[in-house]
Amino acid sequence: MLVKLGRLAYDPALALQRRAHALRVAGRIRDVLFTVEHDPVFTCGRRARAESFRVDAAGIEAAGIAVRRVERGGDVTYHGPGQLVVYPIFDLRAQGRDVKGHVATLEEAAIRTLAGWGLVATRREGLPGVWTARGKVGSVGVYVRRWVSMHGLALNVAVDAAHFAMIDPCGLPIRAVSIADEVAPAPSLVVVEERFVAEYGKLLGVRWREEPATWLEGRGDG
Amino acid sequence: MAEGVTPVRMPDLGEVGAAVVVEWLVGVGSAVVAGDDLVEVETEKTTFVIPAPASGRLGAIRVPVGGTARVEDVLGSIDRA
Repeated sequence: MLVKLGRLAYDPALALQRRAHALRVAGRIRDVLFTVEHDPVFTCGRRARAESFRVDAAGIEAAGIAVRRVERGGDVTYHGPGQLVVYPIFDLRAQGRDVKGHVATLEEAAIRTLAGWGLVATRREGLPGVWTARGKVGSVGVYVRRWVSMHGLALNVAVDAAHFAMIDPCGLPIRAVSIADEVAPAPSLVVVEERFVAEYGKLLGVRWREEPATWLEGRGDG
Repeated sequence: MAEGVTPVRMPDLGEVGAAVVVEWLVGVGSAVVAGDDLVEVETEKTTFVIPAPASGRLGAIRVPVGGTARVEDVLGSIDRA
Protein backbone atom coordinates (compact mmCIF):
# COMPACT_ATOMS: atom_id res chain seq x y z
CA MET A 1 0.00 0.00 0.00
CA LEU A 2 1.27 3.46 -0.86
CA VAL A 3 -0.16 6.63 0.68
CA LYS A 4 1.16 9.96 -0.61
CA LEU A 5 0.47 12.56 2.05
CA GLY A 6 1.80 15.50 0.03
CA ARG A 7 2.73 18.52 2.14
CA LEU A 8 1.77 17.80 5.75
CA ALA A 9 3.02 19.14 9.08
CA TYR A 10 5.04 16.77 11.24
CA ASP A 11 2.50 16.19 14.03
CA PRO A 12 -0.45 14.96 11.93
CA ALA A 13 1.91 12.81 9.88
CA LEU A 14 3.33 11.29 13.08
CA ALA A 15 -0.20 10.62 14.33
CA LEU A 16 -0.94 8.79 11.07
CA GLN A 17 2.28 6.78 11.39
CA ARG A 18 1.48 5.77 14.95
CA ARG A 19 -2.05 4.80 14.01
CA ALA A 20 -0.86 2.74 11.04
CA HIS A 21 1.83 1.14 13.22
CA ALA A 22 -0.73 0.10 15.85
CA LEU A 23 -3.04 -1.30 13.16
CA ARG A 24 -0.13 -3.17 11.51
CA VAL A 25 0.93 -4.64 14.89
CA ALA A 26 -2.67 -5.78 15.38
CA GLY A 27 -2.66 -7.35 11.92
CA ARG A 28 -5.56 -5.16 10.78
CA ILE A 29 -3.78 -3.61 7.79
CA ARG A 30 -1.02 -4.67 5.42
CA ASP A 31 2.34 -2.99 5.00
CA VAL A 32 2.03 0.66 4.05
CA LEU A 33 4.51 3.23 2.78
CA PHE A 34 3.83 6.89 3.49
CA THR A 35 5.54 9.63 1.49
CA VAL A 36 5.42 13.22 2.74
CA GLU A 37 7.00 16.67 2.65
CA HIS A 38 6.99 18.36 6.05
CA ASP A 39 6.83 21.91 7.31
CA PRO A 40 10.14 22.89 8.96
CA VAL A 41 10.85 20.79 12.06
CA PHE A 42 13.82 19.47 13.97
CA THR A 43 13.23 16.00 15.35
CA CYS A 44 15.32 14.52 18.14
CA GLY A 45 15.81 10.76 18.25
CA ARG A 46 16.09 8.69 21.39
CA ARG A 47 19.75 9.55 21.84
CA ALA A 48 19.70 13.18 20.72
CA ARG A 49 22.10 15.50 22.51
CA ALA A 50 21.50 19.19 23.18
CA GLU A 51 24.94 20.02 21.78
CA SER A 52 23.81 18.84 18.34
CA PHE A 53 22.04 22.22 18.03
CA ARG A 54 24.24 25.10 16.88
CA VAL A 55 21.65 27.70 17.85
CA ASP A 56 19.63 28.20 21.02
CA ALA A 57 15.90 27.67 21.47
CA ALA A 58 15.18 31.35 20.82
CA GLY A 59 17.00 31.17 17.49
CA ILE A 60 15.03 28.11 16.46
CA GLU A 61 11.75 29.71 17.45
CA ALA A 62 12.64 32.93 15.61
CA ALA A 63 13.20 30.84 12.47
CA GLY A 64 9.72 29.36 12.89
CA ILE A 65 10.97 25.80 13.22
CA ALA A 66 9.25 23.31 15.51
CA VAL A 67 11.20 20.84 17.68
CA ARG A 68 9.88 17.37 18.41
CA ARG A 69 11.20 14.43 20.41
CA VAL A 70 10.47 11.10 18.72
CA GLU A 71 11.04 7.39 19.24
CA ARG A 72 13.28 6.70 16.23
CA GLY A 73 16.94 5.93 16.53
CA GLY A 74 19.56 8.58 15.89
CA ASP A 75 20.31 12.13 16.97
CA VAL A 76 18.83 15.41 15.67
CA THR A 77 17.66 15.84 12.11
CA TYR A 78 15.79 18.39 10.05
CA HIS A 79 12.71 17.99 7.90
CA GLY A 80 11.24 20.73 5.76
CA PRO A 81 10.08 21.87 2.36
CA GLY A 82 12.11 20.44 -0.51
CA GLN A 83 12.77 17.15 1.28
CA LEU A 84 11.16 13.81 0.44
CA VAL A 85 10.40 11.79 3.58
CA VAL A 86 9.30 8.16 3.44
CA TYR A 87 7.87 6.13 6.29
CA PRO A 88 7.58 2.37 5.72
CA ILE A 89 5.22 0.77 8.22
CA PHE A 90 6.34 -2.78 7.52
CA ASP A 91 6.17 -6.04 9.42
CA LEU A 92 9.84 -7.03 9.31
CA ARG A 93 9.04 -10.63 10.24
CA ALA A 94 8.08 -11.01 6.57
CA GLN A 95 11.54 -9.72 5.61
CA GLY A 96 13.69 -12.07 7.65
CA ARG A 97 13.61 -9.97 10.84
CA ASP A 98 16.50 -8.05 9.35
CA VAL A 99 16.64 -4.56 10.81
CA LYS A 100 19.93 -3.74 9.11
CA GLY A 101 18.52 -5.01 5.81
CA HIS A 102 15.49 -2.75 6.22
CA VAL A 103 17.70 0.31 6.63
CA ALA A 104 20.03 -0.81 3.82
CA THR A 105 17.12 -1.25 1.41
CA LEU A 106 15.91 2.28 2.12
CA GLU A 107 19.43 3.59 1.51
CA GLU A 108 19.80 1.54 -1.66
CA ALA A 109 16.50 2.83 -3.06
CA ALA A 110 17.75 6.39 -2.50
CA ILE A 111 21.11 5.59 -4.11
CA ARG A 112 19.38 4.14 -7.20
CA THR A 113 17.02 7.11 -7.33
CA LEU A 114 19.96 9.52 -7.37
CA ALA A 115 21.72 7.43 -10.03
CA GLY A 116 18.82 8.35 -12.33
CA TRP A 117 20.32 11.84 -12.51
CA GLY A 118 23.88 10.58 -12.79
CA LEU A 119 24.53 11.44 -9.15
CA VAL A 120 26.86 8.98 -7.45
CA ALA A 121 25.90 8.35 -3.84
CA THR A 122 27.07 5.69 -1.42
CA ARG A 123 26.64 4.25 2.03
CA ARG A 124 29.44 4.75 4.53
CA GLU A 125 30.30 1.95 6.90
CA GLY A 126 29.33 2.86 10.42
CA LEU A 127 27.58 6.06 9.27
CA PRO A 128 24.05 5.16 8.21
CA GLY A 129 22.58 7.44 5.57
CA VAL A 130 23.27 8.30 1.95
CA TRP A 131 26.31 10.31 0.99
CA THR A 132 27.61 12.14 -2.06
CA ALA A 133 31.23 13.22 -2.36
CA ARG A 134 30.24 16.58 -0.85
CA GLY A 135 28.04 15.60 2.03
CA LYS A 136 25.00 13.82 3.37
CA VAL A 137 21.99 13.81 1.05
CA GLY A 138 19.85 11.23 2.83
CA SER A 139 19.24 10.44 6.51
CA VAL A 140 17.74 7.38 8.15
CA GLY A 141 16.13 6.86 11.53
CA VAL A 142 13.90 3.92 12.32
CA TYR A 143 11.81 2.57 15.19
CA VAL A 144 10.83 -1.10 15.43
CA ARG A 145 8.34 -2.39 17.98
CA ARG A 146 6.69 -5.81 17.80
CA TRP A 147 8.76 -6.20 14.61
CA VAL A 148 6.82 -3.44 12.86
CA SER A 149 8.83 -0.46 11.62
CA MET A 150 8.01 3.23 11.59
CA HIS A 151 9.91 6.43 10.72
CA GLY A 152 12.32 5.93 7.81
CA LEU A 153 14.36 7.98 5.38
CA ALA A 154 14.61 11.65 4.37
CA LEU A 155 16.11 12.63 1.03
CA ASN A 156 17.14 16.24 0.43
CA VAL A 157 15.86 17.42 -2.94
CA ALA A 158 16.16 21.19 -2.50
CA VAL A 159 16.27 21.98 1.20
CA ASP A 160 16.88 25.36 2.90
CA ALA A 161 20.58 25.08 3.80
CA ALA A 162 20.21 27.77 6.48
CA HIS A 163 17.83 25.52 8.40
CA PHE A 164 20.15 22.53 8.21
CA ALA A 165 23.05 24.74 9.32
CA MET A 166 21.36 25.12 12.73
CA ILE A 167 22.26 21.55 13.67
CA ASP A 168 24.99 18.98 13.39
CA PRO A 169 22.94 16.40 11.48
CA CYS A 170 22.94 13.15 13.40
CA GLY A 171 25.31 14.77 15.88
CA LEU A 172 28.16 14.92 13.39
CA PRO A 173 29.97 18.00 12.09
CA ILE A 174 28.99 17.19 8.53
CA ARG A 175 27.47 19.04 5.64
CA ALA A 176 23.96 18.36 4.44
CA VAL A 177 23.59 18.59 0.66
CA SER A 178 20.56 18.56 -1.61
CA ILE A 179 20.13 17.01 -5.04
CA ALA A 180 19.75 20.61 -6.26
CA ASP A 181 23.33 21.32 -5.12
CA GLU A 182 24.62 18.51 -7.30
CA VAL A 183 22.38 18.30 -10.37
CA ALA A 184 21.26 20.97 -12.83
CA PRO A 185 18.48 21.34 -13.66
CA ALA A 186 17.30 19.91 -10.38
CA PRO A 187 14.34 17.51 -10.46
CA SER A 188 11.14 18.42 -8.65
CA LEU A 189 10.20 16.72 -5.42
CA VAL A 190 7.27 14.98 -7.09
CA VAL A 191 9.55 13.45 -9.73
CA VAL A 192 12.04 12.31 -7.06
CA GLU A 193 9.14 10.81 -5.10
CA GLU A 194 7.96 8.86 -8.17
CA ARG A 195 11.45 7.51 -8.87
CA PHE A 196 12.10 6.62 -5.25
CA VAL A 197 8.82 4.76 -4.89
CA ALA A 198 9.54 2.85 -8.12
CA GLU A 199 13.09 1.91 -7.08
CA TYR A 200 12.00 0.94 -3.58
CA GLY A 201 9.19 -1.21 -4.96
CA LYS A 202 11.63 -3.00 -7.27
CA LEU A 203 14.00 -3.75 -4.41
CA LEU A 204 11.16 -5.06 -2.24
CA GLY A 205 9.51 -6.93 -5.07
CA VAL A 206 6.17 -5.20 -4.55
CA ARG A 207 3.78 -3.35 -6.84
CA TRP A 208 2.35 -0.44 -4.91
CA ARG A 209 -1.37 0.08 -4.74
CA GLU A 210 -1.95 3.74 -4.07
CA GLU A 211 -4.60 4.80 -1.61
CA PRO A 212 -5.73 8.31 -0.64
CA ALA A 213 -4.55 9.95 2.58
CA THR A 214 -8.01 9.30 4.03
CA TRP A 215 -7.45 5.55 3.72
CA LEU A 216 -6.80 4.95 7.43
CA GLU A 217 -9.96 6.75 8.53
CA GLY A 218 -12.47 4.37 10.01
CA ARG A 219 -10.09 1.44 9.89
CA GLY A 220 -9.59 -0.90 12.77
CA ASP A 221 -11.92 0.82 15.18
CA GLY A 222 -14.74 -1.68 15.03
CA MET B 1 20.87 -19.01 35.02
CA ALA B 2 19.10 -20.45 38.05
CA GLU B 3 15.88 -22.37 37.75
CA GLY B 4 12.88 -20.03 37.47
CA VAL B 5 14.98 -17.37 35.76
CA THR B 6 14.73 -16.50 32.07
CA PRO B 7 17.52 -14.46 30.50
CA VAL B 8 16.67 -11.39 28.43
CA ARG B 9 18.91 -11.69 25.40
CA MET B 10 19.87 -9.29 22.65
CA PRO B 11 17.98 -10.57 19.58
CA ASP B 12 19.49 -11.12 16.16
CA LEU B 13 18.55 -8.02 14.14
CA GLY B 14 20.60 -8.77 11.04
CA GLU B 15 24.23 -7.93 10.54
CA VAL B 16 24.30 -5.16 13.08
CA GLY B 17 27.21 -4.23 15.30
CA ALA B 18 26.89 -3.60 19.00
CA ALA B 19 23.61 -2.11 20.20
CA VAL B 20 23.36 0.48 22.96
CA VAL B 21 20.76 0.16 25.72
CA VAL B 22 18.64 3.32 25.54
CA GLU B 23 16.04 2.68 28.23
CA TRP B 24 14.73 -0.04 30.50
CA LEU B 25 10.98 0.43 30.28
CA VAL B 26 10.29 -1.28 33.61
CA GLY B 27 12.23 -1.17 36.86
CA VAL B 28 13.89 -4.08 38.67
CA GLY B 29 11.24 -5.89 40.70
CA SER B 30 8.37 -4.74 38.49
CA ALA B 31 5.90 -7.27 37.13
CA VAL B 32 6.02 -8.03 33.41
CA VAL B 33 3.93 -10.18 31.10
CA ALA B 34 5.60 -12.11 28.29
CA GLY B 35 5.53 -9.94 25.18
CA ASP B 36 5.39 -6.63 27.06
CA ASP B 37 7.81 -3.92 25.95
CA LEU B 38 10.84 -4.37 28.22
CA VAL B 39 13.95 -2.61 26.99
CA GLU B 40 14.87 -0.32 24.11
CA VAL B 41 18.17 -0.71 22.31
CA GLU B 42 19.60 1.28 19.42
CA THR B 43 21.81 0.19 16.56
CA GLU B 44 22.25 1.34 12.96
CA LYS B 45 20.02 4.40 13.63
CA THR B 46 17.25 2.06 14.66
CA THR B 47 15.47 1.92 18.00
CA PHE B 48 14.35 -1.65 18.68
CA VAL B 49 11.99 -2.55 21.50
CA ILE B 50 12.77 -5.93 23.03
CA PRO B 51 9.77 -7.71 24.57
CA ALA B 52 9.80 -9.58 27.85
CA PRO B 53 10.67 -13.23 27.09
CA ALA B 54 8.61 -14.54 30.02
CA SER B 55 6.06 -13.42 32.59
CA GLY B 56 7.22 -12.62 36.11
CA ARG B 57 9.31 -9.81 37.54
CA LEU B 58 12.36 -8.07 36.13
CA GLY B 59 14.93 -9.73 38.37
CA ALA B 60 18.14 -8.04 37.30
CA ILE B 61 19.60 -5.62 34.79
CA ARG B 62 22.96 -6.80 33.50
CA VAL B 63 23.48 -4.07 30.89
CA PRO B 64 22.41 -0.63 32.15
CA VAL B 65 21.45 2.38 30.00
CA GLY B 66 24.44 3.40 27.88
CA GLY B 67 25.93 -0.09 27.98
CA THR B 68 26.44 -2.08 24.79
CA ALA B 69 25.47 -5.59 23.81
CA ARG B 70 25.88 -7.96 20.89
CA VAL B 71 23.59 -10.67 19.61
CA GLU B 72 22.75 -13.25 22.28
CA ASP B 73 24.32 -11.20 25.09
CA VAL B 74 22.30 -11.29 28.30
CA LEU B 75 20.82 -7.86 29.05
CA GLY B 76 18.98 -8.87 32.19
CA SER B 77 16.74 -11.55 33.60
CA ILE B 78 13.13 -12.30 34.42
CA ASP B 79 12.24 -14.13 37.65
CA ARG B 80 9.37 -16.20 36.35
CA ALA B 81 6.01 -16.01 38.05
